[in-house]
Amino acid sequence: MRTMKVTFQINNEEVTLQVRPYETLLETLRERLSLTGAKEACGMGSCGACTVVMNGIPLRSCLVLAPEADGAVITTVEGLQQEGKLHPLQEAFMKKGAVQCGFCTSGMIMTAKALLDRNKTPTKKEIVRTISSNICRCTGYKKIVEAVEEAGKKTT
Amino acid sequence: MILPKFKYQRALSIAEAIDFYTQVDGQARYLAGGTDLIPLLKQRLLTPAAIIDLKHIKALKTLSQDDGWLAIGANVALFDLKKDPLVKGYFPALAESLEVTACETLQMRGTLGGNILQDTRCLLYNKSLEWRTARGFCWKMGGQACNVVPNAQACFSNYCSDNAPALITLSAQLKLAGPRGERTIKLEKIFSGDGRKPLALEPGELLTQVRIPLEKTKGTYEKLRVRDSMDYPLVGVAVSMKGSSARVCVGGVGPAPRVYQLNKLDETSIKDGAGQAVADAKPVLNATLSPVYRKKMVGVLFKRAIKKVQREGAR
Repeated sequence: MRTMKVTFQINNEEVTLQVRPYETLLETLRERLSLTGAKEACGMGSCGACTVVMNGIPLRSCLVLAPEADGAVITTVEGLQQEGKLHPLQEAFMKKGAVQCGFCTSGMIMTAKALLDRNKTPTKKEIVRTISSNICRCTGYKKIVEAVEEAGKKTT
Repeated sequence: MILPKFKYQRALSIAEAIDFYTQVDGQARYLAGGTDLIPLLKQRLLTPAAIIDLKHIKALKTLSQDDGWLAIGANVALFDLKKDPLVKGYFPALAESLEVTACETLQMRGTLGGNILQDTRCLLYNKSLEWRTARGFCWKMGGQACNVVPNAQACFSNYCSDNAPALITLSAQLKLAGPRGERTIKLEKIFSGDGRKPLALEPGELLTQVRIPLEKTKGTYEKLRVRDSMDYPLVGVAVSMKGSSARVCVGGVGPAPRVYQLNKLDETSIKDGAGQAVADAKPVLNATLSPVYRKKMVGVLFKRAIKKVQREGAR
């Protein structure tokens, strides 16, 4: 089947690619653009390890078809640092030790980033509710929630 | 997980979407949020020749009041809808059902139309092709048996929308458009009752609007699930009250939600209603909790939901 041309903005850079119509955005990011921050875990939209921010909305890139991204603005975890300086969320995750195996981390950070972008000072309850979109099977979420809280304070 | 091969078409209007559908002789599926459709494609439960993307149709994204109705475009995201002050103030059953649907990230992507038109689910159906081939195909996959209930002639898959039961209690209507024109039907009429093909949609029809009569109600939604996030309902009970009567709808058990009208809300009527709902519910071993427990919880949640609304109303 013929490939399709898509153009989108990824981490402040415009790219034009030929993609298969039956390719997920996650595959495009990982295999065509070598952006391996977003992970494939369940592949079914349950776990959130593949979360990226598209047009301001955090979404499961394993459930998005590559042609759907045409014209979109996408941020992945690789695009968070600015001129070599880490995003406050990344700093806070490191400082609080909110990482164990690390497989869910980039998804957690992207979900949290979208939350902080629309609400600079979320309450603990709001953080817990938002972060429950992502599954982590090692840390127990406590330090992750603390890290998001701290990053929220820093960005204000 | 790898997707099967298909063509991708982006429709810019409802007419164009229907046009694309007829061009591929009906071998197409409409795509909105994709949170239900894409996993079904990945598991080869659906293998359409084309996917028609409806997300860029502006007419499907509007939320408006029209002659005593709230008209919700089918592609309005669940997250946006739950933030709407009118939904919160007038339709608490719907607002609560939106709050507990999946998780925030999926609510931002998932649409109301997609939530209503989701396929029924079964522990032994929503599996990979390899798994299903090894086990043998069931009724819903085009086979000749049920893999859950031996010798059963019917399909017991569960309809797992949270929002549809809430909308049914609010007497919602669906506006559909298809190759043969438009029609408006009551939401509960969309269910065939047959788990193999649970939705009575005509070929090529797409949902354009969900319409709710603009009358203030009291209500709630009770959901049984194992995890507090992401899980589908194992039993879901929605209640909406106007004056001294209530409409109650039970979802999550079997291929169609069931609706009950209670004209009196005294102890006996509530007990009788709950008893009827328990008798009607026929859960089988196709979800993560036992059928006995789920059946019992139909009655428990039925009563709990009504009592909750009564308590809040008295406050």
